[in-house]
Amino acid sequence: MKSHARLAAAFLKQEERAHWHDQALWYVREKRDRMAASVPDWEALRETAQAIKRHALANLPRYLEEFEQNAAARGAIVHYALDDAEHNRIVLEILKGRNARLVAKSKSMLSEECGLNEFLERNGVEVVETDLAERIIQLAGERPSHIVLPSIHIRKEEVGEIFHKHLGTQRGESDPTRLTRAARSHLRERFLAAEAGISGVNFAVAETGAVVICTNEGNADLGNSLPDLYIAVMGVEKVIPKSRDLSVFLRLLSRSATGQPISAYTSHLLGPRPGQEMHIVIVDNGRSEILRRERFHKAAFCIRCGACLNTCPVYRRSGGHSYNYIIPGPIGTILAMHRDLKKYKDMPYASTLCGSCTAVCPVKIDIHRQIVLWRNEVVEAGYLGRAKSAALKTTTLGMKSTRLFRIGGWAVRKLLRILPPFVFNNRLTIWGRSRNLPKMPARSFRAEFRAYSRSKTDLSESRMNREARS
Amino acid sequence: MKDSRRLVLDKLKEHGIAGDTSYPAYSHPHTGITDPREFFRSVVESVGGECRFVADLEAARKCVAGSEVFLAAKEVCSYVKEVAEGNFEAEAKADAHQCAEVDLTIIRGELGVAENAAVWINADPLRHRALLFISGNLVLVLDGRDIVPDMESAYARIDFSRLRSGYFISGPSKTADIEQCLVIGAHGAKSLLVLVVG
Ligand code: SF4
Repeated sequence: MKSHARLAAAFLKQEERAHWHDQALWYVREKRDRMAASVPDWEALRETAQAIKRHALANLPRYLEEFEQNAAARGAIVHYALDDAEHNRIVLEILKGRNARLVAKSKSMLSEECGLNEFLERNGVEVVETDLAERIIQLAGERPSHIVLPSIHIRKEEVGEIFHKHLGTQRGESDPTRLTRAARSHLRERFLAAEAGISGVNFAVAETGAVVICTNEGNADLGNSLPDLYIAVMGVEKVIPKSRDLSVFLRLLSRSATGQPISAYTSHLLGPRPGQEMHIVIVDNGRSEILRRERFHKAAFCIRCGACLNTCPVYRRSGGHSYNYIIPGPIGTILAMHRDLKKYKDMPYASTLCGSCTAVCPVKIDIHRQIVLWRNEVVEAGYLGRAKSAALKTTTLGMKSTRLFRIGGWAVRKLLRILPPFVFNNRLTIWGRSRNLPKMPARSFRAEFRAYSRSKTDLSESRMNREARS
Repeated sequence: MKDSRRLVLDKLKEHGIAGDTSYPAYSHPHTGITDPREFFRSVVESVGGECRFVADLEAARKCVAGSEVFLAAKEVCSYVKEVAEGNFEAEAKADAHQCAEVDLTIIRGELGVAENAAVWINADPLRHRALLFISGNLVLVLDGRDIVPDMESAYARIDFSRLRSGYFISGPSKTADIEQCLVIGAHGAKSLLVLVVG
């Protein structure tokens, strides 16, 4: 597996694309800022959202049972899955039970996490992703590079190529409107043919048993209303106590995600439509472990808006595929570490720790603080690597002793002024490979400060003298 | 399977959530809206829809009759007969798939939310809720007295006790999945007109 740094370097080689990626996401971030500023109580809403999550997740068994009872009373069939394998198995059994071989699926990060599509395809079920971006990704045989904008790394000319190959659009077509229209008619036909629909869930309301789904395209709704079989899959953390709480989360979600006041469709499904069979699969898959770790439990508050990705200076410049976990960026980092500390050990280092993610997160997750804490865990577990460990040990030594620190500082100031830059900026120095050192000051901070305090006393003395004279 | 249910619920009993975990008392009215009707209209337009104020249903009828979408539509399904007769009866169809060619659907909205242009639609009276998404275009008819400023006041008015499905629809369906270029009309309605009556 290649490290984040390597994958990011590969992404950055395509300069034009990398620049576009950075700009496009920054534009979304700016739209989010304007939207947030237009809501008078924005900060209070974030506080409330976090308080509701804290309460709901501390009382999950109670709320899950309440949700389950209400959903069942409306005719939905509720299942629980301990992990990804069980989730996939349950979904397959439901499909097989109804002989469904073609599924219209709408975007669900949970199903990505569980590898549902591959599993179903292996078992003879055809899955058609119906969200435009997900469909592009699926046809291209890739994985999403963003949790809300899965195909943000693909340019329109490439979409044209993919559609030409799979949907038979004209070669060289790159007009977004015409490409979208082509996808619309292609997918319309699939919707009408599908025997089952599968979608994720944005919120599940305990009080009513409602499943709430937010989309802009309307794909989830065609998928959950046309076929006679519909399966909603959700993580345990999606449950909120009351319908009223939706007002808080819906006001935050789309504004944070894409800078829209709300998504085009917000659907509340309470049980199946007449003549339909509806299943809800509730999945743990590691969420209970996250909730048990005091320092890290807030990661489970996430409502998957993607704002922390859009704002992250590292994500914007390195692209979603530079992260090895299925969810990239700041939130991906703090989720991946629960999955496999060793495998994803480089992810907490793909961060400047600037804190921008924490500042935009609608449910106020302390994302950048968690990233620092995960660095601790990586070091403690001994996964840092020899070069970095040695560098850190040396630094620790120097930091612990005033004398060593002074001598070290003096040496570095002297040496770096005489040595040519390539000594530092070469392929062997891990830090200097892609960074430049700032100009070395002539004096240390201590010396600077001493001189400054002296001049200040001199100044005030002379001022006093002057005042005394006048 | 029964076992997994117990196991999951048991695992969730223990948690490391510190601090105050009581349910918060809250209220966050949108205080920035002085004229909800006008605010609603401008947000409908900002999300790619169209909004007209009409005096009564007769005026609404004229408005629809003169619209390009209506003139171009072959199959029109209307649930507001005062506004348009329509020539397609979705209620008479056994299967939603038979509605796939409907060009225009006219239906009442129960509530309009000024802060985000969302119109609440109770789909229970419809035989086929899919119509809302499969129809090429939508006209939503809203009573002027049913515009509320924000989501909090909207949810205070919605009764979920017997509801089977309800939708907030804000503007036409859209996507920006190809290079972040906004394209109106992804899978659902390609245009959305809200008629505010009275
Ligand atoms: S961590 Fe916060 S900002 Fe990031 S996706 Fe989750 S809710 Fe959004």
